[in-house]
Amino acid sequence: MSAHVSRRTFLRVGSAAGGGLLLSFGWRPSALEAAQAGTPAAASLQPSGFVRLDPDGTVTIWSKNPDMGQGVKTALPMILAEEMDADWSRVRAIDAELDRSKFGGQGSGGSDSMRAEWDLYRNAGATIREMLADTAAEAWGVTRTECRTERSRVVHATTGRSIEYGPLAARAAARPVPQKAAWKPASAFTLLGTRVAGVDNPAIVTGRPLYGIDVRVPGMKYAAVAKCPVFGGRPAVVDDSAALRVPGVRQVARIPGHENPTFLQPGVAVVADSTWAAFKGRDALRIQWDEGPFRDETSASLSDQFARLARGEGTTVRAVGDVDAALAGASRVVEAYYEFPFLSHATLEPHNCTADVRDGHCYITGPLQMQGSGALVVSEVTGIPRENVHIQVTRLGGGFGRRLLSDYAAEAAVVSKAIGAPVQVIGTREDDMRHDYYRPAGARALRAGLDANGRIVAWDCHLVNLSRNAYRRGTSPAWSTETYGMVTGLSENLAPDFELDLVPWHIPHVRLRFSEPRSGVATGAWRAPAHVANAFAVETLLDEIAVSAGRNPVDLRLELLGPSSALRITGDDPTPYNPERMVAVLRLAAERGGFGQRPPEGRARGLAAHYTFGSYCAQVVELSVGPQASGAVGAPRRVTIHRVTCALDCGIVVNRSGVEAQAQGGIIDGLGHAFFGEITIDRGGAVEGNFDRYRLIRNREAPAAIDVHVVPSTMRPTGFGEIAVPVIAPAVANAVAALTGDRIRRTPFVRAGYTLR
Amino acid sequence: MPSISLSVNGRTHALELDPEMPLLWALRDSLGLVGTKFGCGGGFCGACTVHVDGAATRACMLPVGKAAGRAITTIEGLGAGAGGYDQVRAGAEGSEPGSHPVQRAWVELDVAQCGYCQAGQIMTAAALLARTPNPSDEEIAAGMNGNLCRCGTYMRIREAVRRAASMATSSAPGEGR
Repeated sequence: MSAHVSRRTFLRVGSAAGGGLLLSFGWRPSALEAAQAGTPAAASLQPSGFVRLDPDGTVTIWSKNPDMGQGVKTALPMILAEEMDADWSRVRAIDAELDRSKFGGQGSGGSDSMRAEWDLYRNAGATIREMLADTAAEAWGVTRTECRTERSRVVHATTGRSIEYGPLAARAAARPVPQKAAWKPASAFTLLGTRVAGVDNPAIVTGRPLYGIDVRVPGMKYAAVAKCPVFGGRPAVVDDSAALRVPGVRQVARIPGHENPTFLQPGVAVVADSTWAAFKGRDALRIQWDEGPFRDETSASLSDQFARLARGEGTTVRAVGDVDAALAGASRVVEAYYEFPFLSHATLEPHNCTADVRDGHCYITGPLQMQGSGALVVSEVTGIPRENVHIQVTRLGGGFGRRLLSDYAAEAAVVSKAIGAPVQVIGTREDDMRHDYYRPAGARALRAGLDANGRIVAWDCHLVNLSRNAYRRGTSPAWSTETYGMVTGLSENLAPDFELDLVPWHIPHVRLRFSEPRSGVATGAWRAPAHVANAFAVETLLDEIAVSAGRNPVDLRLELLGPSSALRITGDDPTPYNPERMVAVLRLAAERGGFGQRPPEGRARGLAAHYTFGSYCAQVVELSVGPQASGAVGAPRRVTIHRVTCALDCGIVVNRSGVEAQAQGGIIDGLGHAFFGEITIDRGGAVEGNFDRYRLIRNREAPAAIDVHVVPSTMRPTGFGEIAVPVIAPAVANAVAALTGDRIRRTPFVRAGYTLR
Repeated sequence: MPSISLSVNGRTHALELDPEMPLLWALRDSLGLVGTKFGCGGGFCGACTVHVDGAATRACMLPVGKAAGRAITTIEGLGAGAGGYDQVRAGAEGSEPGSHPVQRAWVELDVAQCGYCQAGQIMTAAALLARTPNPSDEEIAAGMNGNLCRCGTYMRIREAVRRAASMATSSAPGEGR
């Protein structure tokens, strides 16, 4: 693995941005970008907002979407540099300020950056490359077709003479920007598909300021916010006398909240000279809460409600054929009931944001996944016009969907406006974990009808789930965010099914129903939203069916997937679902992971696969199950994961290091949350507040080995930041079943009798 | 408030602070050394790991009053040589920040995803290797077990510690803790 990035280049940028011990890059958001980008020379070439070539040969590339660890700040510039034929060691990448006129929509979510920005970055790279090649050809009095470009040079093929890009910048800038420039063929790629180290690595390993929590603005205050421990509640009577006596505390400000709880929640902010004083002052507040209608809610009451709703009819979302008749006529019916808890995002960087409201403008610097919608939210809660809201996104200390919502930016803006000074609002771990927007909890009741030959003829799913779409006051149906990854049949027109992320299987009778429980718990998108729970139910039931019918689980899946020719797919998605790509990853994972071969004594292998956001993944897990972790009655048994084999198809690989990292990290994330992740509800609020109770997977618990095999492809790149997560838990559960006969039907697995070694 | 004498990365600071304030906030809010990260405030995650007299220590759990007079190294001072971070800032020869074998291995193996936990991981790894220059795989996993990574970079962390160990044993000694 080689680090293509010049460390010195980025250290220089980092120290320019930091400027000394008191590191200050947040005075105005644009200051960060300016510090990173430097001042353009008069002779620079900048045909678009995405790229600038300076006369010294430095290529600056703007990454339009936030980097939360998925590597977009490295991968997007790589696409442009490849098409430009820029020397990667001369490239520096910077986080773009929010600017719709330059960049269009900005944000990171839905594993969408590679898919959505592929054309933009290739076009921007091809455009500047053609301008440079045309300039050189003209200077040499030769034709463009006699010249080629490579490593930041234009080369004349027959004479071999060449010129660097840098000295061409000024003359190229005088040329008109071409409307269209041809792309390189994928076979000519030299940078894409290689392993490139993250552009922020040197700053990360030396502790340079990069994250929202690192922002320091002259004159800024720090604020911590108290919110009602019961979801949906609000402060009624506030006694702030003790808080104001805490040394360093300056002020207490009420936050009114917004009717949309994903915009802003009501609370009380304590403003202080240091983070520590703000935390202490906040703890000294005495507040009587208006707890609202959900004060008696518990995890047990929710479970009861899920089970009751699952026995009812629900709303039919999709129906192909006649499921009731097919189930009645089936030789055998396999039934299972699954339940899933709330999950916290637990980004290691707690929620925080720095805002400066002054002169009718609001300057936001912070870790947002969606700066575009963030600006709308800030405008809505402050009354400041959208065009006067300026946002500079920092690097994010994790996102996982939490930062799709910008409530903490709204908090910072409201507090800054109230106190008339710049302020950083920051949560403690407990604030972050108990006032998260959780992966919605729910249950799935599934029934599959088999004919006499063991073929699945009917598939009936009743999905009972809180809806993040309903919570965010979305206008589409509550179920529209919760069906991702569920199974549908072969209807006449699959386009509406793909909009719901449903996957078509060759089953003649399929029904999907939905019921929405009543709850006060705040919900939102959690990495591979809905896919994680839905893939677990679907992939473990499928394995159970295969085993009970004496069939090979791979063969059964191939039969259900069918040929792509059987699907009528309409719409303009350039990378439509293709079951043959799923077949390929299934076969690859099975072969490399030894699925179907005899495992070593005392071990078993399990397989699962899933399609998420345009990408395909199959995994084989090899594990063993040891004795109970302790002598206590009911203590879980210890599971050791010896090896995970992951086969992945995400189209053209942009940064191989990034793809492999996301696959490995996604597997570890999925594993940890499958075994341990659960937010418990009691008295209407979240019980777990820190990592002592909300267990994250640790180094020793991670698998001994994770092998990642990426399918070579010439298809457009699709997302890979989420795809690995939903596959691992069902693969583990299927392996545990193969070894013990025990079918796990819930997460966390620690509540089903299994822990990690 | 009492004046506290704090020695960080080879430089001594006099700070007027509540001695009960955790060292973490003195570093971040008073000294502007924001490389040390706040993760949990309870000693569970290791994001705030610094070296106190050479030992990996949770800065969120150590009152600044109890850190007085002890030698504190943060991520900004790691690999900075005997002169500490000031020497680095002065541009002294051979004192480029990031030169510690652990930092170099972290960049080479592209360990970081979001990167937020990595300063703490690196400080823990550096202390581990100072104590155990050639750790076994089990010693690495156990030694790094107190540092959470929410992105799940554990596979590369293990590999990078192995790489750093081999770099350190094959290069000149005294390159920093």
